[in-house]
Amino acid sequence: MDKFSYVNATSLKQVTSLLSDSGWGEVMLIAGGTDLLSELKEYIETPKTLINLKTLPDMDGISADANGLTIGALTTVADIAMHPTIQHHYTVLAQAAASVATPQIRNVGTIGGNLCQRPRCWYYRDETVNCIKKGGDLCYAVDGLSKYHAILGGDPVYIVHPSDIAPALIALNASMKITGPEGEKTMKVEEFFTLPSDNPFRENVLQPNEIVVEIQIPNPKPNTKSFYLKAREKGAPDFALASVAGVFEMAGRTCQSANIVLGGVAPKPWRSTEAETALTGKMVNNAVSMKAGEEAVQKARPLNDNEYKVTLTQNLISRAAMMAVS
Amino acid sequence: MSEKDKEKKQGKNISRRSFIKGVGTGTVAATVAPAILVGDDQAAEAQTDEAVASARIQLNINEETTEIEVEARTTLLSVLRDGIDTTGNNVDLTGAKLICDKGECGGCTVLVDGKPVYACMLLAMDAQGKQITTVEGIANGDDLHPVQEAFIQHDALMCGFCTPGFVVSSVALLNENNKPTIAEIKEGLSGNTCRCGTYPFIFDAVETASQKM
Amino acid sequence: MASWGEASQSRLIGKRITRLSGKDKVTGKAKYTYDINRPGMLYARILRSDVAHANVIDIDLSRAEELPGVSAVLPIIEVGKKLRYQGQEIAAVAAETDEIAKDALRLIFVDLEELPYVVTEEDALAEGAPEIRDDWKGNKSNPGKNEEGDVDAAFNEAAVTVEATYHTPVQTHVCLETHGHVVEWTDDQNLTVWASTQAVFGVRNDFARRFELPANQVRVITEHMGGGFGSKFGPGVEGHTAAQLSKITGKPVKLMLTRRAEHLVAGNRPSMTQQVKAGASSDGRLIAYDMRGYGTGGISSGAGFTGPYVYHVENQRTERFNVVTNAGNQRAMRAPGHPQGAFAMDSLMDELAEKLGMNPLEFRRINDSSEVRQAQYTLGAQEIGWHKRNTIPGSGTGVKKRGIGVGSGQWGGGGGRGTQARVTINADGTVEAVTGTQDLGTGIRTAIAIIVAEEFGLQPTDISVKIGDSAPGLPSGGSGGSQTTASVAPVIKTAAETAKQKLFAHVAPLLQAPVDDLRVGNGTIYVASDRTKTVTWHQATGLLGMESISEGGSWDQELSQHGVAGTQFAEVEVDTETGNVQVIKIVAVQDCGLAINRLTTESQINGGVIMGLGQTLLEERIMDPLTGRMLNANLEDYKVPGTYEIPEIKSIVFDTHRKVSGVGEPPCIPTLGAIANAVYNAIGVRIRELPITPDKVLNALAEKKA
Repeated sequence: MDKFSYVNATSLKQVTSLLSDSGWGEVMLIAGGTDLLSELKEYIETPKTLINLKTLPDMDGISADANGLTIGALTTVADIAMHPTIQHHYTVLAQAAASVATPQIRNVGTIGGNLCQRPRCWYYRDETVNCIKKGGDLCYAVDGLSKYHAILGGDPVYIVHPSDIAPALIALNASMKITGPEGEKTMKVEEFFTLPSDNPFRENVLQPNEIVVEIQIPNPKPNTKSFYLKAREKGAPDFALASVAGVFEMAGRTCQSANIVLGGVAPKPWRSTEAETALTGKMVNNAVSMKAGEEAVQKARPLNDNEYKVTLTQNLISRAAMMAVS
Repeated sequence: MSEKDKEKKQGKNISRRSFIKGVGTGTVAATVAPAILVGDDQAAEAQTDEAVASARIQLNINEETTEIEVEARTTLLSVLRDGIDTTGNNVDLTGAKLICDKGECGGCTVLVDGKPVYACMLLAMDAQGKQITTVEGIANGDDLHPVQEAFIQHDALMCGFCTPGFVVSSVALLNENNKPTIAEIKEGLSGNTCRCGTYPFIFDAVETASQKM
Repeated sequence: MASWGEASQSRLIGKRITRLSGKDKVTGKAKYTYDINRPGMLYARILRSDVAHANVIDIDLSRAEELPGVSAVLPIIEVGKKLRYQGQEIAAVAAETDEIAKDALRLIFVDLEELPYVVTEEDALAEGAPEIRDDWKGNKSNPGKNEEGDVDAAFNEAAVTVEATYHTPVQTHVCLETHGHVVEWTDDQNLTVWASTQAVFGVRNDFARRFELPANQVRVITEHMGGGFGSKFGPGVEGHTAAQLSKITGKPVKLMLTRRAEHLVAGNRPSMTQQVKAGASSDGRLIAYDMRGYGTGGISSGAGFTGPYVYHVENQRTERFNVVTNAGNQRAMRAPGHPQGAFAMDSLMDELAEKLGMNPLEFRRINDSSEVRQAQYTLGAQEIGWHKRNTIPGSGTGVKKRGIGVGSGQWGGGGGRGTQARVTINADGTVEAVTGTQDLGTGIRTAIAIIVAEEFGLQPTDISVKIGDSAPGLPSGGSGGSQTTASVAPVIKTAAETAKQKLFAHVAPLLQAPVDDLRVGNGTIYVASDRTKTVTWHQATGLLGMESISEGGSWDQELSQHGVAGTQFAEVEVDTETGNVQVIKIVAVQDCGLAINRLTTESQINGGVIMGLGQTLLEERIMDPLTGRMLNANLEDYKVPGTYEIPEIKSIVFDTHRKVSGVGEPPCIPTLGAIANAVYNAIGVRIRELPITPDKVLNALAEKKA
């Protein structure tokens, strides 16, 4: 880690003013720090100043009301995983949170940080490799080794978005509140994430002078079942080879609506409208669930080493769909 | 491989100078505010919005207060292992180990306000005002914690390098859930890695310890 | 004739005894090299090559030297020389803090002229590949060839043949305590080194040679060490560099490798690729074997592996060679050459058995001449429930399919000469056992205490065991080849026996009995022919007055034996939708001769199984042809088993005789074949390349379907 100076945040206003003059990388935000510090240790980022968000008041906590759930951006992943209301009514979120890394990381890592974490790509995380994300000309995964890379939405950068929580939030139609110099705005979590074709350097639309403040999740409709399925090579602390966040509104065995969001297979959490369409209005059985999986990967373009992810994704989707009727 | 990259690979006189980024290290410290006593509540409050490159802080480690000068980048693990406090004594709590340096292996696990965290991934400044318990603080004097006794009884250690981390994680697990199933033990200890392969006896030890808690 | 006596007579030997170092290890008090903190100590780090192959054009240390807090900067490679692998040492820094040392590395400027490289065996063997060693022609060594019997005739006779290619990738040791030293010159002629090593005396002698000192002026200390697995026999560049930096600065220096460097330069198990053809007769005899194989040990050779393995085959032709690549050197790793050879052989045996329509266990019984393993097959098959296996591989129903497999191994593990030890009985009743061996976590410290305590009628905790220090001048060999206990135990035993006889000589007049009528009881010495005549241990040692009894021991071949056999059975569950392989249970039946301590022996068997499991399902050094770099030189993408991967392990200490053999390495051998064969039994598709990861399983299932 290079040297940096450290500022404790006192208010959102102070944070945005400290951020406002700098571009990316000079002044950075730290909450749990579990992702940021690993970047600093590898010199992937070398900020001059870190702003410690943990000292901000009222940004940590989960509250439920008639409209749904509000989660402060500083809420730890562990608190989300273990929250009884989330476990019962927002199961996909609790399962996704519980699948993150290890207990030690979950105790420190925050939901805001989880959404803003940077890719795990082994080229990106190697200081000596100047890939497109770092201003170079090449996505090394294309001609290099690509076992853990994207099969969907890759061009020209084939990273995968590492978050488990993001797919769950999108599947739950969550929104997020962002503060910047011009004040507060709210957007769908789904709209927060971008593809490399729009911006190869960042994975979301957050500006250098903005900060994620809270997450809002509407009440799930009655008769909703939800699951997070995550495939990995090693039980922990692996990131997903592929994952599926599935939220199903069921009437008996009939799927009235389905939200299917994939993790680990694309540079952003990947909403599969194809799979959703294949399930909506159908009696869910083996054939229908398999069809949903097949539809989801129609547009997959695997690299040299990750064709298996096509099958894996397909299988996870159909497994999730079948769980909705079991 | 693109033409451009081929060129790069086969080029002459490739200077690795380019991998040194920006200004040299060591220059940041000179341009920022002098050290302040952040450990003192009043001072901290007065100074919180000022950037500091280093500070004199107070940490509560194993129920004792340690005052120490740290850089902003200093990790808690570095303080525990290599720190020299303001009275000139080595902190010398070397039970926690740096193994992966990346928040994956659990060798540096300590309790912060009772919860297990990786000390290699926590800045020392962020540990202020919290109760830090290292493996050295798990036993009550000479009386071993039931987890420690059970680890010895079941031979839940070989080379022992990962053992402090496993002991701390096991204590944290049993504090939360004093009758864990085998699946819950695996989950609770999933942030710790052993290379000698002591896991089966660690699971046995945690089960035995749970019967005494 | 010396003997360990009957099992029924042993009070301690062969029982489950907790280890002496347990309390220090669970409280964090155990001090490893990494934990040594000396007054005024400097922290050192090494700048390493970022590239696989390059000429060094220029090294500029000046800015690093100017950084406040830096005490010394030392070039390691000379300008004009070649860097031949990522991680190779360029220069080193010693500084007041570790952070300053890290900063200083980034102020060393190096101009490199990159050269073409090969980092995979495939690239190294390709036509027109750059030749990467000046002293070799091409990247291939001359093959070692062997031929026995009449191979071609045997193939003609064979009822079935199998041709297959098996591959295991490079595995790294992943010692949790990285390689490293704390070095302190007490004056310019005396050097003290805390070393994370498995060879205290080997390291001492190396430093003595390197710095032209008499060996007794170098003291090496290894009180505890965090894993070696074969990679920690010498000081390496990092040890010598630490000593030089300490000499230059006049201060103690700590230099531990980073996790990345540990993967890159601290050794690895070479890869193996073998193309094999084998034939069996209709009555199930393995009669013909023809194998061509190679591996890479990085920039060095040494990529040997066994084959054929364990099972007898009369007609065989083999050819094997080394392939050099621009990657860090191989080093011995837990049963060098064996696990990879066993994986190929056990897979091959199952493939042949299937073609013969024969139960794979039956096929092994026919071809295995080891009586020990024959007995192990019976025991292991019962324990795993061999009858539950799929008679037709892959015939199970459902998404998650179970299968059962078997694998075998063979190892030496006998002891040898070269250990000196001293057992001392003091007048106050205290007992000390001293020798220059080291405890890698195997439990040798406790084994020594058990042997002495058994001899003296005391408890292991009564014995003060001093090992891991060269200062007493009692050498012992490096801990390799699973030979430590088998080498040390006889010397300790004979030393204790001699000391006991001396003590008896003091006691005999008091008890009015001849020495050979004396025996030890539980903390007592008594007369065998009249048990009313007895003294306590302390009364006896009190007779020594101002003296102590201090005896050396000697090697005794009768107390040790070479050759241990092992068999393992695995039950796995394969999720055919995710490709995930979960090992449900391993039964490890491991011959180890006399187990001095059954508890730590079981620990070692568990550990071997788990390392074998890692090699089968997770571990692989991933070298990138595009950048010439190892992409997973960390513990995130280089995956070693964690809690979720651990199956139920039934470790069966199969002690066949009352002589000591070693058990450190052998239990990691049969695991690979057992799991791989179980996966095949579950899904009916064979995966011949390790590790068996979800991508390979899914691809194999897709091919089967197509």
